[in-house]
Amino acid sequence: MRKRRLYWTLQIGGWSVYALVNLYFNGLNLLGQPEETITLQRIDVLIQTPLFFLISHFIVRGTAKKRGWVQKEFGKNIPHLFFIVLIAASLTLFVMNLISFLFRGVQIDTDFFSQMLLDTPTFVILYTGWATIYFLYQYLQSYNKSLKYEAAMNEMYLNQLKAQLNPHFIFNALNSMRALVDEEPAKAKVAITQLSNILRNSLVMDKKRVIGFNQELNTVKDYLALESIRFEERLRVNFDIHPESELFDIPPMMIQTLVENAIKHGVSKLMKGGRVSLTTTIENSKLKIRIRNSGRLVNEKQRSKRGGGYGLANTKERLKLIYGGEASFRIYNENDKFVITEVKIPQRI
Amino acid sequence: MKALIIDDERLARKELINLLQEYHEVEIVGQAVNAEDAEEKIKELEPDLLFLDIQMPGKTGFELLQSLDAVPEVIFTTAYDEHALKAFDFNALDYLLKPIEPVRLQKSIDKLLKRTQKADPEEEGAKKLCPEHQVFVKDGNKCWFVKLEDIRLFESDGNYIRVYFDKFKPMINKSLNVLDEKLNKRFFFRASRKHIINLTWVEGIETWFNGGLMVVLRGGEKVEVSRRQAARFKEVMSL
Repeated sequence: MRKRRLYWTLQIGGWSVYALVNLYFNGLNLLGQPEETITLQRIDVLIQTPLFFLISHFIVRGTAKKRGWVQKEFGKNIPHLFFIVLIAASLTLFVMNLISFLFRGVQIDTDFFSQMLLDTPTFVILYTGWATIYFLYQYLQSYNKSLKYEAAMNEMYLNQLKAQLNPHFIFNALNSMRALVDEEPAKAKVAITQLSNILRNSLVMDKKRVIGFNQELNTVKDYLALESIRFEERLRVNFDIHPESELFDIPPMMIQTLVENAIKHGVSKLMKGGRVSLTTTIENSKLKIRIRNSGRLVNEKQRSKRGGGYGLANTKERLKLIYGGEASFRIYNENDKFVITEVKIPQRI
Repeated sequence: MKALIIDDERLARKELINLLQEYHEVEIVGQAVNAEDAEEKIKELEPDLLFLDIQMPGKTGFELLQSLDAVPEVIFTTAYDEHALKAFDFNALDYLLKPIEPVRLQKSIDKLLKRTQKADPEEEGAKKLCPEHQVFVKDGNKCWFVKLEDIRLFESDGNYIRVYFDKFKPMINKSLNVLDEKLNKRFFFRASRKHIINLTWVEGIETWFNGGLMVVLRGGEKVEVSRRQAARFKEVMSL
């Protein structure tokens, strides 16, 4: 929108200035021409300027847009531009002469041709100038955009890596399993399967935008089962899942990341441990996912100081990319003891 | 040697106990589930060695060490912790990554036994901190175990004490008065309100204004001894 406004401002402003400057110098009459010639020249300027305006807008810009020249390499456009400038200049010349011929009864004589010889380079220079400014701006703009886009992509990618399965969790889980092998071999076997499920799902995350709710729920259950082995009586888990939740698709590893946060920043910091509950409900045909955990949310400043907050920012970003403004995310302290994380997901997209 | 295992996870403690069964030199005298618990058990059991997890509810392992006056030998255990790893690598502290590799554990214990056989701290100055004792100092990402004999100077700086050793002078969050009471008077001298010096590091003494003294330490620091303390200083040094 801003780009459009800028274009029109420059287009109208530029040609108006061109006309005014011409009229001004005409008025000065530096060459000492007779009054009649001056008037004629003034009328010429008043006819020419709208002509330049229309031709530069419709012919030069119109063709460039239709043919998508802006997207092409600059070098490849030079012949095109050369060509279109010539066409524009000839067209202007043709229309100008036509008007002179029809309304002023100009004779096609040597004067006519010498005027044409004078006018042609002027028109070519004007259109070349116009095209240079227009394309230069477009190229700078797209170069800028591509840089910004690349930076944004890189940032997302980096953050994504950070939000992926926490190595601290993986190695702690493996460590508990080692102890479990002697203590309860059967439980150790189950734990190994659970960990491999989680690892497999975290690999899926790179490839898919969304997965079925139930698939994610299974990952979360496996994850919480493993953390329960590690934290034992210090972690208490609750599920309350609306049966229609399975009709929804959600970003893979999203709930897992949020639950992991709930444990990492909540339950694991408490000597006596705490509780994590996962509840889903359906409101206005949106899926509402609610994670309630023991602990307390520290404010954003402190969070970023500790190098945290990537998980949450990343989740927000992913929701925005996938659902636009349709999904929502919220995290807040319910009271001194519990933190609530709430995500609303729209129907299948 | 008496060892205390400090980890908030039961299975992690159990796993370590299993691994340590082979080592008759290491006697596990107790387990602690968090830093608070550990502080009590360290006082009570006086272990020579701590197996210490970093991430625990409440105080972290580092914070536990900072709160101790004298720190026994420590082997850190952690699953994966970028912050901790940075600290370890800075000063080559001994650490084991969970799940612990038996070969790595063997190495750590061998290294430890070699070191402790050399320096068997003689029981002297009953409960006072002796030059062989070590303290744990952490400053941002850097941390050290420093033997008291290597510390030249303690200098109070607001609520903190600046500890001078080697080419470092990190801060610890303690009070100089409390520290003064704990330090062995044969080696450490309260030069003034702001300074405690290690007498074994004194290189030269100059007379100063008002009957005070200026002590020069090996390492270059100059510390003024107040007039009140100057007489006592002469007494101690003439021994």
